[in-house]
Amino acid sequence: MTTRVVGGATLAPPTAASGGRISSLRRFAPFIPAGLILVGLFFVPLAVMLVFSFWSTGANLDVIPVWTLENYANFFENTTYVRTLFKTLVIGAGVTLVSLVGAFAVAYFLARYVSRRWARVALLIIIVPFWTSYLLRVYSWQAILGERGALNQVLMGLGLISEPSRLFVYNDIGTFIVLTYVYLPFAALVLYASLERFDFTQLTAAQDLGARPHQAFRHVLLPQIRPGLITAAIFVFIPILGEFLTPSMVGGAGGLLIANLVANFFKNALIPEGAAVGFMIAAFVLVLLIAFRRYLRVEDVYARG
Amino acid sequence: MNAHGYDLSRRRFLQASALAGVAVGMGGITAACNAIGGGAVQGGTFNWMTWGDHYIDEQLKAIEASDKIVANISELAGNAEGFAKVKEVKGQLDMISGDALWVPDAYFAEGLIVPFDINELKVSQQLYPFARQFEIWTKPEGYLGYPFGWSPISIYYNAAEVSPAPDSWQVLLDPKYKGRIVVENQPEEIVAYMGKAAGFDDVYNMTDDQLATVKGLLEQLKPNVLRFAQQATDSVNAMISGEAWLITGNFGNEDRVKDGGGPEIKGYIPKEGTVGWMDAEMIVKDGANTSLLFPYLEKAEQAENIAANFIKHGRPLFSEKAYQVLVDQGEKDRADRYRWTESEAILSQTTLKGPGTSTAKSIQLFNEIFGA
Repeated sequence: MTTRVVGGATLAPPTAASGGRISSLRRFAPFIPAGLILVGLFFVPLAVMLVFSFWSTGANLDVIPVWTLENYANFFENTTYVRTLFKTLVIGAGVTLVSLVGAFAVAYFLARYVSRRWARVALLIIIVPFWTSYLLRVYSWQAILGERGALNQVLMGLGLISEPSRLFVYNDIGTFIVLTYVYLPFAALVLYASLERFDFTQLTAAQDLGARPHQAFRHVLLPQIRPGLITAAIFVFIPILGEFLTPSMVGGAGGLLIANLVANFFKNALIPEGAAVGFMIAAFVLVLLIAFRRYLRVEDVYARG
Repeated sequence: MNAHGYDLSRRRFLQASALAGVAVGMGGITAACNAIGGGAVQGGTFNWMTWGDHYIDEQLKAIEASDKIVANISELAGNAEGFAKVKEVKGQLDMISGDALWVPDAYFAEGLIVPFDINELKVSQQLYPFARQFEIWTKPEGYLGYPFGWSPISIYYNAAEVSPAPDSWQVLLDPKYKGRIVVENQPEEIVAYMGKAAGFDDVYNMTDDQLATVKGLLEQLKPNVLRFAQQATDSVNAMISGEAWLITGNFGNEDRVKDGGGPEIKGYIPKEGTVGWMDAEMIVKDGANTSLLFPYLEKAEQAENIAANFIKHGRPLFSEKAYQVLVDQGEKDRADRYRWTESEAILSQTTLKGPGTSTAKSIQLFNEIFGA
């Protein structure tokens, strides 16, 4: 083995093993910025939150760095938190289902029957509401669904009800409607990206070979857009677990979700207590992502079909 | 010879150096004077965390134009949040607003603010004398904050819908007002209201037994609450639209609802007593721009500005001279409806907001009742 002397330092020639390491490091180099962001903005805060969740709040709202399981014990002993988390999951699942169905109809129509140019215009229209603030959009729903709101005016105008109804606001129904409105476009965009690359002649071919339309749909289309469906479901379901603005504005006193209870802790500087409940939500999301990890191949959303 | 052909002798160099040294020294002395709030300042930007009703944009612009002092404002949502923020960022803020007992028991106790001699501010002479001598804000080191506004929490009701005329917290528990109450989204305060309804005095420091009693009242309250208002204007809007028949809030909601075209509403301080607030501007320790605060306060707290703030935001303030300005402007009736001149008597009968020993349990209790 020969050695070189550079600036007084002795360098060994690269071996096959170290060359392989360098090569594999080079391969991962493009992911370093994203990796740093992921570590810095996700894993580190999550770790900090986890540590805080095992501490407690003292007098003058100081965080006392003494390890305790009290915050977690409180989460499970006080059944309110488990019940509210369960309710959040149910509403999240319901909104996800409705969003997927609605978004699928829109995306299918655009992908199959509308030219690509006009489909993009339609998609632009779908995302236009995102140009205004979330808060304003939810406020506007208060005006639509409220006792003196547009919906009640229409229903009364049609003679369907004789006096203003509170059926659609300040309860879980109101939360459901507004969350669907907020998250349906996310699902539509993902599903359109998936359907856009689907060759619809396959459906015709399947029917030519004797499949009924629903069979072609089920056995030809759905398997090919399944990654898109799963991704859309995750894009809708997971953010809903952290939703607190919509339920606090249109959910009423009885429509609070788990994130509202977390927010109550943080508003009062009860950081460890809030961190514990927050981490329970985060842990649930992690479990969910791990369970669905094999469907989370992002390239599939665009490549398949 | 230097590059410009100028002959710089040792004598001239030393003379120039001495002059430069004197100039730098004078500059340092001036800066030091400014730093302790004395001399004129050259202007600049200070960082202020406060509630949205502590300033008027036009007034800030006028001060910026005349004195070159810019207030860089961040919105303050609540006392606990502000306290936690200052503990975290310390001298990155220069001034922060806070309520009543939060000032001595949290900010001062933690060494986060700088007491000062309020009489050094000429504008302080426009305050009611008692506002310069609040016992809770007086320490041997100085006064803890510049007094701004105050109000007890009252109950307001739609006179056409709520009868007989209530005088107690108990009206909030009456089943006939199911879904007709809007309260601000402040869990600890809602628990405190129910503490008052139960007849307890120190509602921010309740015992476990007292909290158990309050729990029962919160359970009665829940079906009556239509929703939680994100801010005071939400409560007022709920009254204007007719959605709510009862709301809680600061003085002045009769005017706000009337101005918004709503029904006639009446307000009262519950007979069991109530909680209240009085807030102040505090100087944050180690703030980098605190030399700007006295000049800013001298301008911003002038009676004309305070009177205009009252007209815009509508709650009583501590400026005696501003009351006279309002009288001169023909607004005496409005100021009297807000009981401007009665602050000392009313505040002495309220439980002032402050950090409490039962905060964590209050929030847990609120979550337990209002969660699913």
